[in-house]
Amino acid sequence: MFLLLPFDSLIVNLLGISLTVLFTLLLVFIIVPAIFGVSFGIRKLYMKTLLKIFAWATLRMERGAKEKNHQLYKPYTNGIIAKDPTSLEEEIKEIRRSGSSKALDNTPEFELSDIFYFCRKGMETIMDDEVTKRFSAEELESWNLLSRTNYNFQYISLRLTVLWGLGVLIRYCFLLPLRIALAFTGISLLVVGTTMVGYLPSGRFKEFLSKHVHLMCYRICVRALTAIITYHDRKNRPRNGGLCVANHTSPIDVIILASDGYYAMVGQVHGGLLGVIQRAMVKACPHVWFERSEVKDRHLVAKRLTEHVQDKSKLPILIFPEGTCINNTSVMMFKKGSFEIGATVYPVAIKYDPQFGDAFWNSSKYGMVTYLLRMMTSWAIVCSVWYLPPMTREADEDAVHFANRVKSAIARQGGLVDLLWDGGLKREKVKDTFKEEQQKLYSKMIVGNHEDRSRS
Amino acid sequence: MRVSSDQIEQLHRRFKQLSGDQPTIRKENFNSVPDLELNPIRAKIVRAFFDNRNLRKGPSGLAEEISFEDFLTIMSYFRPIDISMDEEQVEQCRKEKLRFLFHMYDSDSDGRITLEEYRNVVEELLSGNPHIEKESARSIADGAMMEAASVCVGQMEPDQVYEGITFEDFLKIWQGIDIETKMHVRFLNMETIAFCH
Repeated sequence: MFLLLPFDSLIVNLLGISLTVLFTLLLVFIIVPAIFGVSFGIRKLYMKTLLKIFAWATLRMERGAKEKNHQLYKPYTNGIIAKDPTSLEEEIKEIRRSGSSKALDNTPEFELSDIFYFCRKGMETIMDDEVTKRFSAEELESWNLLSRTNYNFQYISLRLTVLWGLGVLIRYCFLLPLRIALAFTGISLLVVGTTMVGYLPSGRFKEFLSKHVHLMCYRICVRALTAIITYHDRKNRPRNGGLCVANHTSPIDVIILASDGYYAMVGQVHGGLLGVIQRAMVKACPHVWFERSEVKDRHLVAKRLTEHVQDKSKLPILIFPEGTCINNTSVMMFKKGSFEIGATVYPVAIKYDPQFGDAFWNSSKYGMVTYLLRMMTSWAIVCSVWYLPPMTREADEDAVHFANRVKSAIARQGGLVDLLWDGGLKREKVKDTFKEEQQKLYSKMIVGNHEDRSRS
Repeated sequence: MRVSSDQIEQLHRRFKQLSGDQPTIRKENFNSVPDLELNPIRAKIVRAFFDNRNLRKGPSGLAEEISFEDFLTIMSYFRPIDISMDEEQVEQCRKEKLRFLFHMYDSDSDGRITLEEYRNVVEELLSGNPHIEKESARSIADGAMMEAASVCVGQMEPDQVYEGITFEDFLKIWQGIDIETKMHVRFLNMETIAFCH
């Protein structure tokens, strides 16, 4: 038997009603603008408030660190070792010269000391190399009140801890359920909407409806992630019969781009929820989905893409040529397949601001569901999208060169480092051709001498 | 080894990156360093990390896996010479570094670099070039070995067999070359960058 205060049930009822009202109001405030594509500016206000709070938090930490007389900021590391810029030839010659016991005109062909250059270079790369750095999340220089990014900062006072605790409460108890509700709404509307549109006869009306259903659902998903996106140069947006090419950081890229434009997607057929969404979408408008077995067949893929692109009534294709997710500090090698089909390429650069939440999907560390939960419990996802002017392959240019040109343009616009390395290195080994280059250079040095000798 | 705690922390982070957050590294973990693939003597370098002679664990053989301490031990062969070191310490340092290189050549740990082992190194270094036949690589190695022999033993009788380069001979060959000033990896002097947003 427990004592119930007389107005206990009243309080519970009131609480229940007010929560429901609050939730509904929020949903209305968020979904209705999404349907019509307008924005109240709530998210921008939210972002400004957050920035002010972060600035205050950083100031407190600086003060705290100064009081304790410690260094707060870890030194800016762009690599931990100093690499000598001297070339292979110079260095080997220098070492040989310093072995002064031999007469200089009697230059030997091979010296015991030659091994030294390669040995040292090997050590340097083991200690620090460019490529592996790209595959872990970018480190922040200030703390954004998320414990998952608290690598270097320890000087947290009581006030900051309270603030952080409040942040946790808000993010997990208020924002997360809201976002999940929105995501659920968005996805179910997409599936239901596209299926219904699929029953209509083909024509202008169907296309119009399909476009708006797609856009509306993607906008709801954008709000489900609290993504604050700034679009630049919207006049360069991709048109029918073109190929939209962008750098890839996470699966969210698709949602970000598709909420501002109507694209045909390309991808592998999945099972589960994603498969249901894919099948529904293709009823409303032609997307290009490949079976798992077809993906390996490059000619088939190229053929289907070419067919799609040549039909001017079909939508621009959205494709991510890096093939895998990179941590948004650089752009890796673009696979040449999509650049061979001869369509106009509309490059798009996407750059995330890591201060509000790290959008990079480290697929070897987190699964998809864990990743989405992390996204939904961050403060927000802030990014900038630049639509670059269209590019076409020139007459005497090969696909690889064209791909690199597009890649440089994207890297330059987004402020990312343009790397020649293959994003697939995350999983595979370097091809043997690269190793051969270095060996050829050295052997040219040695054999050059050998041939001179035998000739004289 | 006089390395600052900052540098040790960074090396530890690097170790964890290479080992995939495991406490030890195996040979396979070095496959994740793409730049290393460019190196023609990659196999020998990786092997040097597991060589018991370099790890100071025995006269021969290879370890299966190495811990962070072992990693630091190998890295210590590449520490720069401190200006505060006296002559004896510099000489000691030099010997250590040269011993590391000697172990790279002497793969069967018998204390001598035989003609076979020498040829093996030259072939690896030259293997990338398809235009060099195995014969040329061999003759280059043979020629170099003869030069080395002449430095160590002087003039040889026609039927005298040269067994191989011992460590003392190795030291003789490297005389005059300031290897200790070149065989090091220097840490960047980190300066804080002003925090601007």
